[in-house]
Amino acid sequence: MLERKVAVVGMGGAFPNCANLDDFNTKLFSNKSLIRQWDEAGKYGKNIRSKVCGFITEEEMGLEIVLSQVLENYPETYLDKLDRIPAANLATADVGSIWAMIGALDSINMAGWSAEEVQSENTGVVIGSGGAGNEILRKAWYSFFELGKKTRTSGSHNVDRTMVYREAANVACLIKNKGICEAIGSACATGLGNIGYAYRLIKFGIQDRIICGGVEATSLETFIGFDGMQVLSRGFSPEESSRTFDIDRNGFVCSFGAGIVALEDYELAKARGAKILAVIDNYFNNSDGDGDMFYPSFAGQQRLWKGLLKDQGTKPDVVKVHGTSTPAGDAIELLSVVDILGESGYHISAPKSQFGHTLGAAGAVEFIASILMLQNQKVLPCLNSVKLNPELESFQQSPSWTGPKKPLEAYRDLIPQLSFQKEINHITCLNYGFGGTNSAISISRDVA
Amino acid sequence: MSREEVIAGLVEILKTVRQINPEKLTNITEDTDFITDLGTPSTEMINIAAKAEQKFGIEFNDDDIDDLGSKIKNFVDLVLDTKAKS
Repeated sequence: MLERKVAVVGMGGAFPNCANLDDFNTKLFSNKSLIRQWDEAGKYGKNIRSKVCGFITEEEMGLEIVLSQVLENYPETYLDKLDRIPAANLATADVGSIWAMIGALDSINMAGWSAEEVQSENTGVVIGSGGAGNEILRKAWYSFFELGKKTRTSGSHNVDRTMVYREAANVACLIKNKGICEAIGSACATGLGNIGYAYRLIKFGIQDRIICGGVEATSLETFIGFDGMQVLSRGFSPEESSRTFDIDRNGFVCSFGAGIVALEDYELAKARGAKILAVIDNYFNNSDGDGDMFYPSFAGQQRLWKGLLKDQGTKPDVVKVHGTSTPAGDAIELLSVVDILGESGYHISAPKSQFGHTLGAAGAVEFIASILMLQNQKVLPCLNSVKLNPELESFQQSPSWTGPKKPLEAYRDLIPQLSFQKEINHITCLNYGFGGTNSAISISRDVA
Repeated sequence: MSREEVIAGLVEILKTVRQINPEKLTNITEDTDFITDLGTPSTEMINIAAKAEQKFGIEFNDDDIDDLGSKIKNFVDLVLDTKAKS
């Protein structure tokens, strides 16, 4: 089967503590943390351990909530104060779907696709998210189960605003494409999983262009779920809370956002004179196969790298890691990268250290951050990676450990604390999710 | 409650349905059709009914909502009939 080359030609989304993509770009490469104290969590006092978050307010996105007159505090719909999304589309959307629609319009605009191209049978939408439409469901279920109201009290949009592929459905209804519309779900690998799936659809000639990515809508339920697992960062100031690879890291920062990109068959994009933001070299995904829902797998990550690189032998200039700032995850990931790529010749970037873990959006938002690295020719830092462990991790001392035998501190030179300039031609992006799912994609600057 | 009062209350509800062009709400008559004249999405009709229940202090019978016609006068009849029965 003929395998086609795939280009990234547009991007957009919703980024923590940022007004838009330009703002995101500026803040990231200024070494800023986008993490803030989250008053929504703070309201619950000691019942929620973590209080920091990479969130986005409605106001920051140019949106306004319209509360129901019938059901108290139910967000009946949203107003788009910047007139980007028609009222009919806002009516069927939760806030994450609105972010996806805004990101889709920005991506299409950047791609320069005509209305005819967008509305073609060869244009698809593949967008997934990590959580349910909790902000909608919480009030709807409360109305029915606790207040004893009729189903119609919470209105007729609880299905379309909360169904699993709501972001894809809302984007498809907005842009009116006639090709594929679906969602891939793989927990915190969802964002990259959707881009990878979209890449394959174009690579194998099933679609010519796709709007794809991942979303994690603002949700206190999502935050509470992870807080209850005691895996969220606490005890640091907001901007120091996410500290990938640092010896004092104690959990990830739960964040929200959306990353949307426009992919296109490379030859079609070139033929119409499109600006190629990046070329996708390969995508590979697999499962740990060890039966563990949560714990990262060194062996699974080794197989992931081997599947991604095959026999290409091209070493990336930057590895954009999953790097959540959790004790076990960061250590295993770093050692797995070193085991494959060696101890020098590349750098590691952990964007979550700047904006936290956007969960279902993470793979897509960080894919965009990686494209920005290609564009700026600057490596994004591992913020707050102040001190690396000078001693071996406990698992490294196990007789069954087959990976590198040096402590994390030995790899200090790979881990920048601040952004810096260098020639970047190839980047590998890694994301993993609960259930032992692993995803990796490699992208390059367009040289043709 | 007069029919005019019900229509006035209904127009206030329709102003909150953002898919309806507000300019179309200036000349509402009993013969105005929700769907063909106002362009009301069918999914919004149940939301309008729920808002009307709250505004007029009534509870519609489910069968009556199912059988509701698409003109303003059908809605006015339903409100007044339901109010009379309660």
